[in-house]
Amino acid sequence: MSSDTTNSKGSNVGLIALVVGIVGIVIALFGFKQGWDDGDVRPIMSWLIGIGFWLSIAIGMLFLTQIWYVFHARWPTIIRRQCEHGMAAFPYLLVLFLPLLAIPFFHENPGLLWKWMDGHNALPGHGTVGEDPLYQWKSPFLNIPFFAVRAVGIFGVFILVSELLRRWSFNTDTTGDVNNLHNARRLSSLGLFLTSIAMTLGAIDWFKSLEYHWFSTMYGVWFFAASMRAAISTLLILCVILAWKGYLKGILKQAHRYDLGCLMLTFTIFWTYISFSQYFLIYSANIPEETFWYNIREMNYDGTRNSWWWVSMGLIFGHFLTPFLLLLWYKTKVVVWRTVIVASWILAFHVLDLYWNIVPGKLVAPDHAPGYLVRQFSISPYDIAALIGIGGICIFAMCRSMKKAEPIPVRDPNILTSLNYSE
Amino acid sequence: MSESYGIIASFPDTPAFFHAAEKVRDAGYKKWDTYSSFPVHGMPAAQGQPRSKVPVFTFCGGVSGFTLGMTIVWFMNAFNYPLIVGGQPFFSPVFPFPIMYELTILLSAFGTLGGMFITNLLPQHYNPLFNSEKFLEVSGDRLVIAIEARDGQYDPVATRRFLEEIGGTDIEEVSA
Repeated sequence: MSSDTTNSKGSNVGLIALVVGIVGIVIALFGFKQGWDDGDVRPIMSWLIGIGFWLSIAIGMLFLTQIWYVFHARWPTIIRRQCEHGMAAFPYLLVLFLPLLAIPFFHENPGLLWKWMDGHNALPGHGTVGEDPLYQWKSPFLNIPFFAVRAVGIFGVFILVSELLRRWSFNTDTTGDVNNLHNARRLSSLGLFLTSIAMTLGAIDWFKSLEYHWFSTMYGVWFFAASMRAAISTLLILCVILAWKGYLKGILKQAHRYDLGCLMLTFTIFWTYISFSQYFLIYSANIPEETFWYNIREMNYDGTRNSWWWVSMGLIFGHFLTPFLLLLWYKTKVVVWRTVIVASWILAFHVLDLYWNIVPGKLVAPDHAPGYLVRQFSISPYDIAALIGIGGICIFAMCRSMKKAEPIPVRDPNILTSLNYSE
Repeated sequence: MSESYGIIASFPDTPAFFHAAEKVRDAGYKKWDTYSSFPVHGMPAAQGQPRSKVPVFTFCGGVSGFTLGMTIVWFMNAFNYPLIVGGQPFFSPVFPFPIMYELTILLSAFGTLGGMFITNLLPQHYNPLFNSEKFLEVSGDRLVIAIEARDGQYDPVATRRFLEEIGGTDIEEVSA
């Protein structure tokens, strides 16, 4: 393996990413601390956005790897290895998740971020969480001990499945043992169920339960679709960079990029299908317990449009229509710079989608006046610090993993099919 | 002898077949094709074929479906017979979505199928190449390049010599 040159490059990038990551995390944690002291939830949401973004990419890569194994897909063998490196971020993400998990246990208001965690929290209008029948009905699921157990279990599934898949795949590089592939396929058949359940629970616990009043059966699938889009876009950009830097030079063919582009189009449509279905069902049923979630993302209590209306429109036209129309063109999927622009565009709007899901909330109006206030859209410096900081750590984890294995699974039984793949 | 349809030449193996196709393309012939019983990867590029035009038909079908779906609902619910359903507005882009969505898919599929037939010049039940016994062996193991007489560059003698030069065997003229 011509690893001497490439690996030293990798370690430089990893080191830079680590430094940038630590700086970002220190800044974001400073905001987190201030929010903790002042009881201000916004900087804490910055951390949740950062975790959500990078976790969704890692989850998407875990899904892709397993789906490829289960379907015995041979063309993506060289891309699967990049997923395996990306999945190295899970243990780090668990550590980075701990500050959020500390809130219910160590903060004086356990419900600072997830307001159902404290029964004394006042609700807009009147009453408290503890007096709310909807919370009382949901409390067997939404309680702090079970929440903590679930968080550990969710990360446990991600880490266990991804580490086993990584170990087997890397082991094939040295031993050439085909049993590794059989094991990975067997695990993936089960792992797809485990990761789907874990991911759905994670989406419900960490994002959806921010508004515990709400009901939606599509939410887990929404997060799946969003994760897949984020992961495929990241993979495309990553593979192009790796080809440009020499790791995948002459290995990553137009056909690979074209198929990833097709997957990008597929999941753009799928994300829209899921997001719209969720809206459509709630719109048609027209039940206040459900519609309020969309109302606060469109208007204030008095019916005037708020900042989220523009974000919602941005998601429809920017996260769906623009990438959809662009990706319909064959050229967009094969011309490198166009693909990279569309992939970056999707990632940027994925962040906006996370904002849209996490940040809006009903706030108690001053002097407990009737109605509520809506937490408006804003981009805080801590958001950017958290996104860059947590990203730095994830990239560091990936670069560290890249030093452990070949750039492509050289002794995988399917490697030749992948190398010779053509449209 | 009746009018000529073109000249066919056979090739011994796939690489020779493939490179011969590149040479025919580079010689500037337009009305010609390659025939084999299995797909040869990269052959469209070796033949100098442009990208398929079928997506254009698909897109037109999709846009028609989208417009049709929206128009049906608007015409029926908001224009011809305004009707209040479930307290919703007479027309909104939200609730006709399933109809518009289904019609987009349906007409895209029709467009794709129709576009495939049109661009492939189908249905075509007869081709003069079937006059050649050798050509019929294409469904077995024969690899054939056929240059048609309606090509501007076609010349019975020069084209035959050209096919010999690029390694063609069993060269024969096919009557129309």
